[in-house]
Amino acid sequence: MYRVRLLFAAALLLSSLLLCHSQVVVSKTSAEKLTLDLSGFTTGSRGMAPLFVKTLKADLARSGWFEIVARGQGAITVVGSYEHVGKNLEVNCSTYNAVTKRKYMTESFWGAASEARRLAHEVSDAIVEAVTGRKGMSDSKLVFIGNRTRHKEVYTCDADGMNVKQMTHDRSICMSPSWGPSGNRLVYTSFRAQFPDVYLVDMKTFKRERIARFPGLNNCADISPDGRFIALTLSKDGNPEIYIMDLRSRKLTRRLTKTPNASESSPSWSPDGKQIVFVSDTAGSPHLYIVSVKGGARKRITYTGSENVEPDWGPDGRILYSSKRLGRYEICIYDPQRGDDSQLTKGDADYEDPCWAPDGRHIACARLIRYQSSLYLLDTMGDAPVRLVNLGGDVHSPSWISN
Amino acid sequence: MSLGTKYLIGLGCVLVLLSAAGCRTPTVGPDDMLDPRDIPIGHRFENGTRVKDANLVPVLFAYDSYSVSPAERHKLVVASEYLRSNRAMTVVLEGNCDERGSREYNMSLGERRAIAVRNYLLGLGVPNSRMQTKSYGEEMPADTRHNEQAWRKNRRVAFAVYE
Repeated sequence: MYRVRLLFAAALLLSSLLLCHSQVVVSKTSAEKLTLDLSGFTTGSRGMAPLFVKTLKADLARSGWFEIVARGQGAITVVGSYEHVGKNLEVNCSTYNAVTKRKYMTESFWGAASEARRLAHEVSDAIVEAVTGRKGMSDSKLVFIGNRTRHKEVYTCDADGMNVKQMTHDRSICMSPSWGPSGNRLVYTSFRAQFPDVYLVDMKTFKRERIARFPGLNNCADISPDGRFIALTLSKDGNPEIYIMDLRSRKLTRRLTKTPNASESSPSWSPDGKQIVFVSDTAGSPHLYIVSVKGGARKRITYTGSENVEPDWGPDGRILYSSKRLGRYEICIYDPQRGDDSQLTKGDADYEDPCWAPDGRHIACARLIRYQSSLYLLDTMGDAPVRLVNLGGDVHSPSWISN
Repeated sequence: MSLGTKYLIGLGCVLVLLSAAGCRTPTVGPDDMLDPRDIPIGHRFENGTRVKDANLVPVLFAYDSYSVSPAERHKLVVASEYLRSNRAMTVVLEGNCDERGSREYNMSLGERRAIAVRNYLLGLGVPNSRMQTKSYGEEMPADTRHNEQAWRKNRRVAFAVYE
């Protein structure tokens, strides 16, 4: 044991000497990164250990903050152990700055033996948060639509695109899935009873309830950040408009738009739950507008692009959307506080249905090439796009658990 | 006049005033939910059996548009006459879009197209209670190819007649 410690101390010293000038790797094709040495992670027992380490490594790399480097070459050092204790796994993990020796975190993690991957996601998020002060995205879930069975069904997967599960068996058309806070509940639209109705699913019991079945269209439900309301599109009054429903009483409490000669869609709540961004074609083509949940005047926020659609108001206050520019759909970001607008993608494909990852840095979206749709992870800080799910058929309409 | 009577009269006055005030106070909820220009969609009806030989031709639309062009109006006249001579029949107006653009917006646009057709048929005397609107957005293309010709066919409102 003493020898191990001595070796470890020597390695630390060496790495701090070697790495004074290589803490940050900058290249033109990726974001700025801290070098991270994972080699100090020992795995006493066999079985799932390689899967755990492989997953942790992939998660830390995907987080965008780190470049995983060889033993002794990291500005950040992760040491720890991974052991089977009865039917459980126990992970102990410490993270240090190799140069200053400052300890970022020391934590223990427990889980069932079958949960090596989920445990790795948890450890990765803890390391990201301890070192960068930012939330991680690995221990989280996505929901999306796929047509592998020739029907459009709702699927879920982990943040790394693995662990895909088919959630609905409606044998119909499902669309617009969206999580409630903490992922306890999910809303989606299905034609399973002939017409487009909104369903609410309890993710613990998988109990499903049809909560909006008005005449005409029921679609685009989005659960408020406090989980008490949904915003949705209904056409029952003679035109597609945005309404708010109280999820406890199932009563409509407010109608936010009155535009008999235009149609509205895609409401998304602001993180404080006080405003809604939505799509309206009152100007002749679809653009984004913001309105208070108490009603009142709407404010148009997009003027560039021939169509601006599918807004997602993120945890840090920035609004993601898809904008048609020079004939292509591009992912754009609007910051309501600063009033500025930026374009993330650059015309190599059509990018649609964007949604924020819980880290406020990454984006999941549909990428269309020759009318084939797949899910991609984009990085707002410069890392190359990564394909998320390999399911077969078209996959689209992703939504990420927000917290 | 006893004290009790005075008390009762006083209470009565207060009640009358309160109820009068109640009449003048606008009701908050429902007023907020309606617009004078609304023509609500009729209640959903049980579909019955699909009539396969109605042969009503779908109404076509321009890109991102829900207005019924003059060239398409004769189809609505034919549909209204068919429904007038088959009074037991109901119709689901199925709004559709081409595959380009946002799926969610296309659901609303398809619904708006179906509503445009409903409003026109209302004007031609077809009762609201015999019509339902239903949007498929871009999910049910009539032609699955990816070109202008297919897109033109897919931007449509189809008449699904039931008896």
